[in-house]
Amino acid sequence: MMPVFVDLYAPKNTFLHRLDPRVKIISVILISILALLLASLIALTLLLVVIFVLLFLARATFARTMFALKFVLRFMVLIVILWPFFDPSGTPVLASLGPVKITEPAILRGITSAVRVGCLATVWYILLFTTSQRDLVRALVKLGVRFDFGLTLAIALRFLPTFSSLIDSIKDAQRARGLELNKGGILTRSRNYLAVLIPTIVAALRTADTLALALQSRAYGARADRSYLRELNMRPSDAFVLGLLVVAFVVPLVAKYGFAVPL
Amino acid sequence: MKYSYPGKIEALKGVDLHIRSGDYVAIVGGNGSGKTTLAKTLNGLLRPSHGSVIISGQPIEKMRLASIAKYVGYAFQNPDHQLFCSTVDEEVEFGPRNLGYEEKEIKEKTGHAISIMGLDEVRDEAPLSLTLGLRRRVSIASVIAMDPRVMIFDEPTTGLDAKEIENLMDNIALLNEEGHTLILITHDMKLVARHSRRVIVMANGRVVLDSDPRGVFSNLDLLRESSLEPPPVTLLAHKLSDFGVRRDAISPDELVRSVMSKGAR
Repeated sequence: MMPVFVDLYAPKNTFLHRLDPRVKIISVILISILALLLASLIALTLLLVVIFVLLFLARATFARTMFALKFVLRFMVLIVILWPFFDPSGTPVLASLGPVKITEPAILRGITSAVRVGCLATVWYILLFTTSQRDLVRALVKLGVRFDFGLTLAIALRFLPTFSSLIDSIKDAQRARGLELNKGGILTRSRNYLAVLIPTIVAALRTADTLALALQSRAYGARADRSYLRELNMRPSDAFVLGLLVVAFVVPLVAKYGFAVPL
Repeated sequence: MKYSYPGKIEALKGVDLHIRSGDYVAIVGGNGSGKTTLAKTLNGLLRPSHGSVIISGQPIEKMRLASIAKYVGYAFQNPDHQLFCSTVDEEVEFGPRNLGYEEKEIKEKTGHAISIMGLDEVRDEAPLSLTLGLRRRVSIASVIAMDPRVMIFDEPTTGLDAKEIENLMDNIALLNEEGHTLILITHDMKLVARHSRRVIVMANGRVVLDSDPRGVFSNLDLLRESSLEPPPVTLLAHKLSDFGVRRDAISPDELVRSVMSKGAR
């Protein structure tokens, strides 16, 4: 059985971990936009290499990286295989069968899209690998997200592992009563899953109720203006990285579109 | 037998046990001592990383969990982790139905389980709307209804009041009289002293003591090392042993008898 990482964050002391979470969020958004705008395979591959170097610098362990990349890789392979079948444009045509035409540019476009998806997915992993959930929420609130939403997100993230182990123990309890979750057709299976789903929902509602009471009993929302125990401070190094990133973002776009095209 | 959780935590570091048919065994130990892990390997929820579990001469390694459930029932600590039907009756029928019994047998076994657990009056009520004591009873009844030869109870008395505990444990004792092998996981040494015939003390993934309750409770140091507190009557007997009272008394009656015989002399 593969261990399940519900929280991808791995506490380490690397340059990427120490970076202001706001800078990291903005960077990841910029790189994502870049990946969407760039069209050349070489440029995108270069970007993917840069992202992997960053992943390496974040000292992501092999197990974690593989866990995260497994899904992305499958998706990428699928895109490369399927793309040419749905994109008949361009020449030269390499093979054709009825309405289906496999063309060289389509294969190239498939690979390009796969690499793009790879960039988009892995860059977010860097953020999740190097930023604790607490910092993530704090940064979002500082970037202008309402505190209530930030707290809701924090609670949702906090309870993911709790519910994951709750579901495991509910599954165990029902399997001990002879329930076989992986047997039968889709209808039997969905009916069997009710035995897991109902106790889970009941437990979730109970937990939510208790949590709401606990928050109220600690005077949540008593004051409109909140103060924070830990403030986020931009250090010169954070500003430097942000600057570097903006340059890295603008230069390839300028090179591609020229100055005439407003970004 | 050994067991390691994924991530290399070795929860059972070598356990070698033989549990006789019809016995009433208590597995005790501090939190994290490995008692629940041990119990879960007995019904196949966890598969040992070394060694094997053999029931009636049959190794269970290759058996499906649903087949093992016919032999070993497991009542979980939190009844809310399994209740999902709209009536108590349906809830209790769920297990035997999964095991593929015939309709007549299902009704029989369900009726028997419900009457042992004293649930006749709430048969048509929704399990989730019952009190914790009754919910626990429903979850236990749902295991009894599968009629397994071995039944494991994981902390069945957590959250119950004294009266509920007494009634529940008396009902569970009935199952032992019917010939079922019972395995009780608990922190409550009073229950152990009153009900079990054999006590297995676990610490750090090993069995550190395996004896009858009298033998276990006379070993105060070992109990403390295993984060366990012997029943008050045993502690009192130990204090009084300087005056010639037998130190292995495990029930108030025994202590009184021992004290009176000294006084008479």
